[in-house]
Amino acid sequence: MSEPGIEERLAAYLATKLPDADDVRVDGLARIFGGASRETYRFVLHARQGGEATSRRLILRRDPPGSLIETERSVEFAAYRGFHGTAVPVPEALWLEEDPSHLDHAFFIMEELTGSNLQSSAAEAAPHAAKLTPQKWSILGEISKADPAALGLDAVMTPVTPEACWQRELDYWEDQLDRHELCPQPITRAAIRKLRKNPPPPAQRVSVVHADYRTGNFLFDDEGTILGILDWEMAHLGDPLEDLAWGLNLVWQTPDGLAGGLATREEAVRIWEESSGLRADDEALQWWELFSSVKGQAIWVSSAKEFTDGKNQDLILAAATLVMGNRQDKAMLAAMGHPV
Amino acid sequence: MKPDMGRLLEVAAGHLMGTTAPLLGDAYEQSNVSVLGMMLMAVGHEHERAAARRVEENGVLRRLFAKAADSAEDGELSARLTAAAASEDADLTVSALEASNAELRGLLVELHAALEEIDSPAARELEAEVWQELAASTRRRSLPTLGDT
Repeated sequence: MSEPGIEERLAAYLATKLPDADDVRVDGLARIFGGASRETYRFVLHARQGGEATSRRLILRRDPPGSLIETERSVEFAAYRGFHGTAVPVPEALWLEEDPSHLDHAFFIMEELTGSNLQSSAAEAAPHAAKLTPQKWSILGEISKADPAALGLDAVMTPVTPEACWQRELDYWEDQLDRHELCPQPITRAAIRKLRKNPPPPAQRVSVVHADYRTGNFLFDDEGTILGILDWEMAHLGDPLEDLAWGLNLVWQTPDGLAGGLATREEAVRIWEESSGLRADDEALQWWELFSSVKGQAIWVSSAKEFTDGKNQDLILAAATLVMGNRQDKAMLAAMGHPV
Repeated sequence: MKPDMGRLLEVAAGHLMGTTAPLLGDAYEQSNVSVLGMMLMAVGHEHERAAARRVEENGVLRRLFAKAADSAEDGELSARLTAAAASEDADLTVSALEASNAELRGLLVELHAALEEIDSPAARELEAEVWQELAASTRRRSLPTLGDT
């Protein structure tokens, strides 16, 4: 990190959280590439506790000046806390700090997942498909069937009725598009009209929705074991089909036609249904798949706006739009019966 | 301009990705420089076709609007379609072409929504042409250098 004195400032903050520790130090602070909604850094926390020297590898997730999506860090932090120790593997969330005076922006700190050669991309996942596929989609099933109240998430996530899930999400992302589009989006607008004219049935249940569940947002080791589900920044309560549909979106499909480089659509749906105990009604799932492309385009459009306005000049914002925008339009056309 | 812009950007991108990035000690900056190189490659591709694809698309849209103007039930929309169909791209700078393209694509959104509400064979035929143009617009925008073929 290029900010002078930032390791010392972080150490000073951590010392307040570890009142029984002496000689609290931070070293190796290094930014991790790819975090589009928060700046993500790894570092090692050293301290002396009870006369013994201790070290722990941690992750700092700090708010950026602008990001792909406007998200509540407290909700993301609560999601990590809620699922920690359950069938959904996540790193342990440790401290949430909303006061920007410590590191110039709000942030939270969690453990760094460690293991042998941790990976996340679709290309890295493909060789482990046989092992990763059942894990990926059954973990999503666990998220879908989890009780938000039992996880304490009903207190931090805005409630929604089963009937209103679709409309709340569509209203939100259409508003993002209205506020951020730099040029007209005729394909996305056609998709929004179609979605509004043909609403899906009410959600089978109101679940925790991860909202960015795909290959790339979980870490696995070189044995093909998923160690943690990451990037909960858009998590909310809603229709569990929203998560299933997002993971099946064509933009995450590899050239061999596999969702996230791992599974066929049928295989993913079957595993998710078995794990969640829920049913993926075909028409409802298709509605959510088209919605997922509207949401995706709203995200890419927003990233272009942030970059263009100079609010955040992280190259990942420009790259995301260049790489994903046109693909998302093609996915939308396919979902509306007009494949390119 | 010589060397050609495309070649210049290609060499610059190759230098960033192949020479500069590996020299950087910081993994985050290494990734940033690689992404920068990748974007320069895409810019080189876009530079070559930027004016051509906008001129082509604007022409297609104007012809579509000329055909649709008579079918629009809304007189005000019909008048705007007629005016847009008669407009021309006098300024061939990319920014001017982009501005006229945005105006035309905005009108396409309105036309498409209006056609969806009309129950007639002529409207269905025009709507099919709109869908064809939307599909064609994604082919014009494909960036093979970024894996979008």
